[in-house]
Amino acid sequence: MSAERSVLDVSGLPKVVFGHRSLLWWGTVGFMVIEGFTLVLMVAAYFYLRTGEMGWPPGRTPNPELLIPTINTVLLLLVMAPMHAAGKAAKRFDRRGVARGLLIACALTLVVNVLRWWELLALNVRWDAHAYASAAWGVVVLHATLIVVDFFETGTLAALFLSGRALRKHYPDVADAAFYQYFLSLAWVPVYLVIYWGPRVL
Amino acid sequence: MAHTEAHATASLLDAGGRAEMERSWRPEPGFWGWLVAVDHKSIAKRYIATAFIFFLLGGLEAMVMRIQLARPENGLLSPDQYNQLFTMHGTTMMFLFGVPVQIAVALYFVPLMVGTRNVAFPRLNAFGYWTYLIGGVLLYSGFILNTGPDAGWFNYVPLSGPQYSPGKRIDVWAQTVTFTEIASLVAAVTLIVTILKQRAPGMSLNRLPLYVWSILVTAVVILFAMPSVALASMMLAMDRLIGTHFFNPAEGGDPLLWQHLFWFFGHPEVYIMFIPATGFVSEIIPVFARRKMFGHTPLVLSLVATGFLAFGLWVHHMFTTGLPQLGQSFFTAASLMIAIPNGVQIFCWIATLWAGRPRFATPLLFVIGFIVLFVCGGITGVMVASVPFDQQAHDTYFVVAHLHYVQIGAFVFPLFGAFYYWFPKVMGRMLSETLGKVHFWLFFVGMNVTFFPMHFLGFMGMTRRVYTYPVEAGWAPLNLMATVGAALMAAGILTFLANVFTSARRGAPAGDDPWGSHTLEWGTASPPPAYNFLHIPVVQGLYALWERTPDRPVVTGMGTRRPEVLLTTVLDAEPDARYEHPGPSIAPLLCALAVGVTFIGGIFTTWAFVVGPALLFPALLVWMTTQDDHDGPRTEGEEPA
Repeated sequence: MSAERSVLDVSGLPKVVFGHRSLLWWGTVGFMVIEGFTLVLMVAAYFYLRTGEMGWPPGRTPNPELLIPTINTVLLLLVMAPMHAAGKAAKRFDRRGVARGLLIACALTLVVNVLRWWELLALNVRWDAHAYASAAWGVVVLHATLIVVDFFETGTLAALFLSGRALRKHYPDVADAAFYQYFLSLAWVPVYLVIYWGPRVL
Repeated sequence: MAHTEAHATASLLDAGGRAEMERSWRPEPGFWGWLVAVDHKSIAKRYIATAFIFFLLGGLEAMVMRIQLARPENGLLSPDQYNQLFTMHGTTMMFLFGVPVQIAVALYFVPLMVGTRNVAFPRLNAFGYWTYLIGGVLLYSGFILNTGPDAGWFNYVPLSGPQYSPGKRIDVWAQTVTFTEIASLVAAVTLIVTILKQRAPGMSLNRLPLYVWSILVTAVVILFAMPSVALASMMLAMDRLIGTHFFNPAEGGDPLLWQHLFWFFGHPEVYIMFIPATGFVSEIIPVFARRKMFGHTPLVLSLVATGFLAFGLWVHHMFTTGLPQLGQSFFTAASLMIAIPNGVQIFCWIATLWAGRPRFATPLLFVIGFIVLFVCGGITGVMVASVPFDQQAHDTYFVVAHLHYVQIGAFVFPLFGAFYYWFPKVMGRMLSETLGKVHFWLFFVGMNVTFFPMHFLGFMGMTRRVYTYPVEAGWAPLNLMATVGAALMAAGILTFLANVFTSARRGAPAGDDPWGSHTLEWGTASPPPAYNFLHIPVVQGLYALWERTPDRPVVTGMGTRRPEVLLTTVLDAEPDARYEHPGPSIAPLLCALAVGVTFIGGIFTTWAFVVGPALLFPALLVWMTTQDDHDGPRTEGEEPA
């Protein structure tokens, strides 16, 4: 070891970095790929099962209703706004701004989670009726699990910032949570179109 | 790195700094320390040990099946026991040994080879191991309690559906698979981020060792392959438990949906085991040929191409299900195409050996065995890629022969080569060369005596998964020969175990670099200290140690009071940030247990999907709130110097 020579002093490097410079951002991208691709495969299975039926929905199953799902889609898109604000505040290390954004996002996500139950009922069929019902429930429930987990994650982050225990290194986590929220909200739009509008077209 | 010279002001660590490093990276002692460990080496060692235990169990299952088939109309096993055994054997080897052991080896060596101190997400890594362990324990608990799955490792519906497989056997299978998927996925994310963000300065992507490239490609393949089987196993579980109809044709479902989803995962899974194995080969060959690798860039491109093509082949497992002609042609062409990148790799390896001065130590013997067997397995692969041939050979012992040539030849042989190569680094002692060579020859001869006759058994009409056969079939001599071969393989494995256990205690001390290797892991002690490198090395070429200047350039200025890793840029590995490392925690184990309650409980009651997540939440809180306990709590805004 004695032969080693220092050629690179890194003592001046920052310890808190945002976006693609941070580890967690890359981890978030990894999980977005996994979750996004699972959703894609689930939707593919929905279309695959469509090929075996004469009508879609089959038999006398009515089309899904549109009102609640549409409201919930708008709400889910709206969650991006406070999360975006929280993410920007995080880059300024503005604790109040972060806490405010996270709290609003949390409240909206809670409403989305509750409405999701009626969104399932809006499918107008139980999961065990036939393959169409199983596939439609499958797609919506899959996204719903992501929303539930997201609620707890955002809630935990909000609690961290409200309690004053947050450290500088937690601020990039907020920016990454905002980044993840864009994925979660935007990924829902094609799912919503396929599940709630699709049967009217297919 | 010339511009960095001007900044070289911080000095090398003295004895005090070194002691501080020891203190901040020291693992917690005792059994509790074992439960809370997050060091990648500690997690990887238990991962490797666990995977090898499953390998031995899977091997025992195979041996019992071979004894049953050694003579016609044998009564050692009942049909039901035989069904469970072949399902357990396949499931164990694919889900509990094949994929996990490749992940485990990568988790040990990737951080060392890229010159960092731990993986990117050490707690996630520990969580992955515990989840995998719970999955394995679940499968074997089921087996011991006569609830072992019995529908084959690919578990086709409708046989595995609620109508033809009542009881809990298939549910045990489905949830075991769920656990191993979670473990693989978190490991894949951890490895990708470690490789992209934690490489030592100077290790730009074009200087990445071939093994690390192979792991990067494999991890990306995992990200896209595992969701498919996760979805399939969840659909199956729901069909069985809550009455959905994904695979029930009576209500509009489709059994072929299972086959598509399963093989969209199942075929890439073969490559999840095979691609890292080619990485082992590409590390071992230049070291033992004593020259640089011929064709580094074509090898990297071949790895990437194999990763891509892996997703275009799945339908060749389904040629007998009645596909449209165009589909058959497309998937035949895709299946044949994968021979191209693999051919390129084989020619590069042979060229390197040809032009080098090969030293025929045990690791290289296993690699040469690999090349021979892989070519055999590859050729039969090209044969079954052709639809008319496949329709004859499908579900016969020809396929059993083919897949074992590929799996054992192209995965287990390089794995043993890697074991002999890296054992000195992990344990600090050499394995016995004599026992290693005995192991190689027993295993190589045994492998061929076992599986070569199976090609002919397939041609003679012996189908897979028959628990016995009549005398008149004429299959007895070749079956007996296969069983003798299996005994030779078992003797090889016993030799290997004897070698490991004696050498771990009494083997010759290895020193830092017993083989004269070129990758960074050989530039630190054997076994490596908890922090891997006292000073992070600065990499000067593709062959980090061979191309290093005598003054051994290193990084200074890293914090010593708390564990820190250096973050670098994705393409050029320029230093970018210092990241404080999370410490040991019980939270990964608690989270894994909560996931265990969810999925194991889910076999019996849907309430488990409420109770399990409810338990997960406090475990996650423990995870979040114990990030900063290295040195007592800190206050907001503190950014340590």
